[in-house]
Amino acid sequence: MKSAWPLFLAWKQLFPSQRKVSFFSLLAIVGVALGVNVMIVVVAFMQGFQQKFRSDIIDAQGHARAVPLQRQLEWREDSQKIASQPEVEKVSAYMQGHLLLQNRDYHAVPFSMGIDPGQSDGVLPLNQFLKKGFIPVQGYDSKDVTPIPTTDSLEDDVVFITQQVANRLGVRAATVLLLDDQNFSINKGRLVVERLDPYVESDEWTIEFLSGDQYNLRNSLGSIDLNGSLEQIASDLGWGYPKFNLVEGITPLSKGDRFRFQTFRSSILEIYSPTMIEQAKSDEMAPPREVRVGGIFEVPWQGFHTDALIGTRRFMADMRGEENACDGFFIKFKTDYLHDENKLGELCARLEGYLEGNWRIIPWFVENAWFFDLLKFEEYLMVLIMIPIGLVAAFAIAIALMTTVLRKIREIGLLVAMGGTRFAVGMIFCMQGFIIGSLGALLGCGLALTFIRYRDVLMSFIVTRIAGEDGQAGVTQFYDFYSLEVPYPWESEQSMMTFLTFIVFAVGVSTIAGLLPAWRAARMNPAEALRSE
Amino acid sequence: MSNQEQDTVLEARGLSKSFSIVGAADLKVLNEVNLTLKESSSLSIRGDSGCGKTTLLNVIARLEPADKGTLFWGDRKIDAVSKPLATEASWRAKHIGVVYQSYYLIPELTVLENVLMSVRLSGLPITEYELRARELLEQMGVGNKSMQIPSKLSGGERQRVAIARALVNRPQVILADEPTGNLDERTGAEVMNLLLSSCTKEKTSLILVTHNPSFAQATDKTTSLKDGTLIYE
Repeated sequence: MKSAWPLFLAWKQLFPSQRKVSFFSLLAIVGVALGVNVMIVVVAFMQGFQQKFRSDIIDAQGHARAVPLQRQLEWREDSQKIASQPEVEKVSAYMQGHLLLQNRDYHAVPFSMGIDPGQSDGVLPLNQFLKKGFIPVQGYDSKDVTPIPTTDSLEDDVVFITQQVANRLGVRAATVLLLDDQNFSINKGRLVVERLDPYVESDEWTIEFLSGDQYNLRNSLGSIDLNGSLEQIASDLGWGYPKFNLVEGITPLSKGDRFRFQTFRSSILEIYSPTMIEQAKSDEMAPPREVRVGGIFEVPWQGFHTDALIGTRRFMADMRGEENACDGFFIKFKTDYLHDENKLGELCARLEGYLEGNWRIIPWFVENAWFFDLLKFEEYLMVLIMIPIGLVAAFAIAIALMTTVLRKIREIGLLVAMGGTRFAVGMIFCMQGFIIGSLGALLGCGLALTFIRYRDVLMSFIVTRIAGEDGQAGVTQFYDFYSLEVPYPWESEQSMMTFLTFIVFAVGVSTIAGLLPAWRAARMNPAEALRSE
Repeated sequence: MSNQEQDTVLEARGLSKSFSIVGAADLKVLNEVNLTLKESSSLSIRGDSGCGKTTLLNVIARLEPADKGTLFWGDRKIDAVSKPLATEASWRAKHIGVVYQSYYLIPELTVLENVLMSVRLSGLPITEYELRARELLEQMGVGNKSMQIPSKLSGGERQRVAIARALVNRPQVILADEPTGNLDERTGAEVMNLLLSSCTKEKTSLILVTHNPSFAQATDKTTSLKDGTLIYE
């Protein structure tokens, strides 16, 4: 095939016979590969972050929020109407506002939200937030065995607060510490506290074994002193007392074995509402509402209020002095609507119509558009910064190929003398650019896939080297790359488009880089080229 | 080799060419040159350095235009003054073989790949010509070097490879521009013998530009280029 000889010669000039690869080819291909790798990895990570934020936002506020356009007294009916739609999985009513919290001389005014505990779990994964916000007490001779609080303990006199509020007010939830293990062997089993409700008092508890299966349970206050057997070990003394269990070990428990643990009651907060302040103006001073801290939570979505309180909806209604009030609904749709924003937008519009225009249904991506616009802007900015890197590589390729043209002037003359057209001779250099771009792009994709596959190890290595062990925590607080989902091209259309875009970019730029040397070679006079020294 | 019955492969009529020199009168290197080359014949051109021998070969090969004159390649009439066209390239690839003083082998290719480069440029099937390329290399005495790269060969070996490359796709004419210029006398004689015998064997016509009178004498016709005019001896 006549048309194939420029490609053959282009390939041979990059990968000469009897040699595996030329130094120039290697450098050029690696240069393009690194450029492609960086561009793909940055964009893929940015998309991964967007995906993660999307998932965090949906966790924090559901797929959509229904906001009444005017005060709705019949909101329960509307809630049922929404819930009855086949696309809707769960609906949860909420109230919100700001409350003044006080603990001794410390104050905080967090964003406060009231939800119906029974309904919340389907929309907001509160138990996950509580797990994320749980920080065990670190003790020298004690071990924190506090069970992670759950929404089961959310009552009208119990609230959950964020870590920032807890730190500012110096409060914490009920805690239980195992003071010492006098059995000297983990093989003898361990104490498990299954429940520690917010009403547990500070106390010291002892479980002492009288024989292999008989024990005595008592507290320092003297209110409890009872004997039990291992067969009935799951002791539930009721609300206000810890519920514990003993997990038997390999070695049987024997007389004298003892567990000692101490409970610390949850902090009590005094809460004032704007309504109470209004009452104070008219000399109707109402005492503050006292509530217990049931748990500390953390919402992974940074856009959620860092100073926040979650209580029951009834508690919020009391604080606002408005019975039967509702500020809106959190709505969670079925999985078909998770990824298709257009579909979700249409569904929300349809729901608005169904509710006769009394409610505005705001999908999550509209409510947080500012944030995603910012992320997109950041992504485009990164690409804009990186494109010159690719262009610099293209210039380097162009200069190297131009040098090759000058080095091969007589060869170019010979090829024309042997019957090559000037255009075909020029194509040799253009195709070299194309080959460098193609191989570089493929290698770059391989590197990017490797980076994506081992991103945790690599990112941890890089961040630790730059920010140190302590700094890593700071970085992961915002960019939690450990939980980042960066899809491979075969898993996501968006990822495939990213890979293809940068492959086309690299091949295109490299081929264009070969055009100038190709033009220079093609316009050479073969007779003069053959005469050149 | 010469035979009056043979067909004319190449004829040049009234070829003239001059180069303009800044600040001086134009340098006329070809002045009404006439040349006829019969099938399977050979012709040598001698002359001083810079007298226009290579220019004559370039004009004949249509690598550069003449100022005046006409070329006949077989039945094909070509206006030698016209600018060489891209379409002439494929004709050149099939009908002309070139051998230069500096060999001009492509350093990235093996000896065999260099020889087959002519085939590639002619658009002929490589697989069919590979055996012929190997045979030519054997004939040239470098058959055992076919997988070597040119830098591993001596000057004489490189020129043998260049001759094999010129012959491989059975061109009508070989234009050899001082093919022994870079070789010592003994190697030069060997290479020249190979070139002449191969052309005879392959029934290929040859135009040989040389300084060496004994090599020139070995061709069917000897000429010399002086003051732009080709003088038959």
